[in-house]
Amino acid sequence: MTAENGKTREALLVARDVTRVFGGAYALSDASITLYRNEICGLLGANGAGKSTLSRIICGHLPPSSGELLFRGAPLAVGSAREALRSGIALVAQETNLAPDMSVLENIFLPSYGRPGRLSFGKLRREAQAILGELGHEHVLPLDMEVRRLSAAQRQLVEIAKALALNADLVIFDEPTASLSPTEVERLFEIMARLRDGGKALAFVSHRLEEVFAITDRVTILREGRTVAEDVPTAGLTQTDIIRHMVGRDIGNVYRRPPPAAGADDRPVVLEVTGLSAPPRVRDVSFSVRKGEILGLGGLVGAGRSESAEAIFGLRHRAGGRIAMGGREISPRSPIAAIGAGIGMVAEDRRRQNIIPDMTVGENLFLAQMGRHRGFGRGFAPRRKEAAALIERLGLPADRMDASLLHFSGGMQQKVIIARWLLIEPAVMILDEPTKGVDIGTRQAIYELLREVAERGIAVVVISSDFEELLGLCERIVVMSDGYTIADLPAARLTEESLTLLAAPRSSAERNARLLRELVAAHGGTAFWGLIDGDQLVCLTVAEGDGDASMGLSAGHVHAASDTRIPTALARRAPGLVTEADGRTTLLTRLSNRRGHDLGWIGLSLPPGRTIPDPEALAARMTTMFEQHQSEEIDA
Amino acid sequence: MSASNRSLAMPRFVSSLEFRMLGLAVALAIVLALISPHFFTERNLFNILDQSVVLGIVAVGMTLVILTGGIDLSVGSVAGFCGIVLAIFLKEALPIPVAIVLAVGCGALIGLLSGVLIAVFGLAPFVVTLGVMAIARSLAYIVSGQRSISGLPMGLQDIVYTTVAGIPVNVIFLLALYLATWFWLSYTKGGRTIYAVGSNIEAARAAGLNTLYYSIFPYVASGALAAVAMTFSLAQIMSADPIGGNQLELDAIAAVVIGGASLYGGRGSIIGTLMGVLIMVMIRNGLNLLGVSPFWQGTAIGAIIIIALLAERLITWRSRRI
Repeated sequence: MTAENGKTREALLVARDVTRVFGGAYALSDASITLYRNEICGLLGANGAGKSTLSRIICGHLPPSSGELLFRGAPLAVGSAREALRSGIALVAQETNLAPDMSVLENIFLPSYGRPGRLSFGKLRREAQAILGELGHEHVLPLDMEVRRLSAAQRQLVEIAKALALNADLVIFDEPTASLSPTEVERLFEIMARLRDGGKALAFVSHRLEEVFAITDRVTILREGRTVAEDVPTAGLTQTDIIRHMVGRDIGNVYRRPPPAAGADDRPVVLEVTGLSAPPRVRDVSFSVRKGEILGLGGLVGAGRSESAEAIFGLRHRAGGRIAMGGREISPRSPIAAIGAGIGMVAEDRRRQNIIPDMTVGENLFLAQMGRHRGFGRGFAPRRKEAAALIERLGLPADRMDASLLHFSGGMQQKVIIARWLLIEPAVMILDEPTKGVDIGTRQAIYELLREVAERGIAVVVISSDFEELLGLCERIVVMSDGYTIADLPAARLTEESLTLLAAPRSSAERNARLLRELVAAHGGTAFWGLIDGDQLVCLTVAEGDGDASMGLSAGHVHAASDTRIPTALARRAPGLVTEADGRTTLLTRLSNRRGHDLGWIGLSLPPGRTIPDPEALAARMTTMFEQHQSEEIDA
Repeated sequence: MSASNRSLAMPRFVSSLEFRMLGLAVALAIVLALISPHFFTERNLFNILDQSVVLGIVAVGMTLVILTGGIDLSVGSVAGFCGIVLAIFLKEALPIPVAIVLAVGCGALIGLLSGVLIAVFGLAPFVVTLGVMAIARSLAYIVSGQRSISGLPMGLQDIVYTTVAGIPVNVIFLLALYLATWFWLSYTKGGRTIYAVGSNIEAARAAGLNTLYYSIFPYVASGALAAVAMTFSLAQIMSADPIGGNQLELDAIAAVVIGGASLYGGRGSIIGTLMGVLIMVMIRNGLNLLGVSPFWQGTAIGAIIIIALLAERLITWRSRRI
């Protein structure tokens, strides 16, 4: 941007002809990149293209086999992370580099431990609060909590805070958004833009092309360790251009949403979860998934989706709720029991929860089968034929079954883990962030695979923070917030915007329900809270007064305005009372939080004959009640 | 890519750690034979095998424990205690097989206690087995009345001095144990689960493996095998001493580590352990033959262990870098 304004561009870091060899294989061969002040450069490439290797070399985590690195015009001491930190180069790593037993605060300031002098914890605490405040997470990330107790996404936030704390001149973001929700990504982008405008040079590594377009000024693209496009202005590129550079060929539409099958709702329900609770993250979760259906579980990071999946799979203690498989109630206390009931799960953290690092590809593939096998041997033999077919179907190299799984790219590893479950033919498969850190080519293959799995009659539950992915892949989406399932909608009726709104942070659903009940208790009728999107009402919470006829609204459902009893009010969306043709009176009030974020509408609808309260007083009451609840939440 | 290149260049076994350790063992034997005329005598070779039996059996249990990422410091004391128990049962004129089964059961029970404390209650293996080590040794003194027990029935010697085709049965037992353990670790659900537990217990549990059972089992096996090893030791010296098996755990851990196992779990092999046992026993034997003072033997053994591991680390570093 700055260059186009006629200013000279100041190169902060120049990397020329960088080569890195790992045990005979070239991870990088003559790759080059230049990072300028006041610019965000996207570093792109498919999995295994060498983005992470290049980032790690720039940050001194790895020495290059050959090549030249200049920082501020002077040669950079390579292979020394400490030297790089001192010169002002920071990395937000993809696989988080945190000390799990230390607190959030200590992790944020870990690099300061390497500097001489006394540390003032009081000062660090204030700085940390300021940084987390910028990230909008001052309340979500307790500074004294041990990092091992955080979720993957929270760890990612700590990693970002750590890089910000360094106040470095050059910051490399290696897939920082992989486990963040859209709102968090937006906030991160604001920060990145601020850093750029403050004269810093930023590199942004991501698989999500829409993000690359949103934040980068220029891109450098790697393919198989070589730079295939260097320093190209983002503005002149299309998505297709980038993909062509990345994979060397064109790729069709990644998402192919299946047309809603006729009589889709006749398929039998396979897994039904009712009122599941597993404190503190999971409070009241209900959903069901049918045979052959792909169900999305959407929401923000921290909404309790992974925790729900773990509770269903027997990895987490359940405090209440009912889980039924094919109508029969089950109560798995361990994964063994859950697998026995026909559930398979690909957990979120591939390295920590799925892969056995010291085992070969083959053994990792057969792991679930071995666990289920009743007998003395490994139980491989009876499934060899199925395994061979799967290996071929997934494009896994059959001759490398004896190699370590860690030598493969993230996408390949994920395919093996998915195949592990397919081999035992579960009735339900839960996948937590299945395409995290997977490049676009492999992502497409995984989507295809999941569709095929569903077509075979397996019920698939996909947890994802990537709303585009959820909308493209799933037939139906259940949205979670604060540990509650708050909506259950067909994907066709949702857009990325409405999904973001549904999942947006808000005071907890329980308090909103209480607020609505208070309104109804005072005035009667029906109170509801929802989003109005075109001619649709997305209903979030409803309370109905005793003795009044039900309006037919139900929480978590989309109602066409014309099907409700209050079409006129929904169409007008104006302050003041609106009376329908049948005499029903409705008051709608718009809600927004302190940051001005839209939180939808709160409505009170009274049947004919009820005493009509003063509209202005009522509207004021609605907003103040809501604000009160909100500040309670923040103080809590 | 690197793996396949290398395996094309030479068979995988040649490049493996076990093979290098076998090479080290052979080299050691040659050196010892050159500097001491007594080394290659039949008497000394049988001596080496006898000593290998006791350490070798204990090292099998230790390998299983270390593969899960644990450690068992109690094997020496448990062996000593079970030796006393066995001697007392024999003095009570119980039939020899019954006495042995009871002593081995006693070792297994102690292992079960450690295993449950570690796997169910999540206590650190180092601490639990350290405690058990102190308890077992103290009980050995109390039960024996602080005296060694001799005058064991002569029939006990049969398990050492019987030979089949010229090979003593205790050596046959040792080889059979290693063969069975190798098969079990490589080709059965249980063995592979042990590796998975040590490599990534969380992933193993999520894949539906019985991680609880296979976290406890190695300690049971280790306790039972400590008692078995002590039985052979008793049969050789025909007396039980409450200090018996002292520091056996250190030799066993050293043998397993020399054999290439990672103390973090998940990596190692039983064949490597066998090599480690042979190397340990030959070093001790050689130092004795050369008349090195027992006080210097510790220094020599410690230095050799560290040098062997350092060399191994340097080799793997180089192969990783190029």
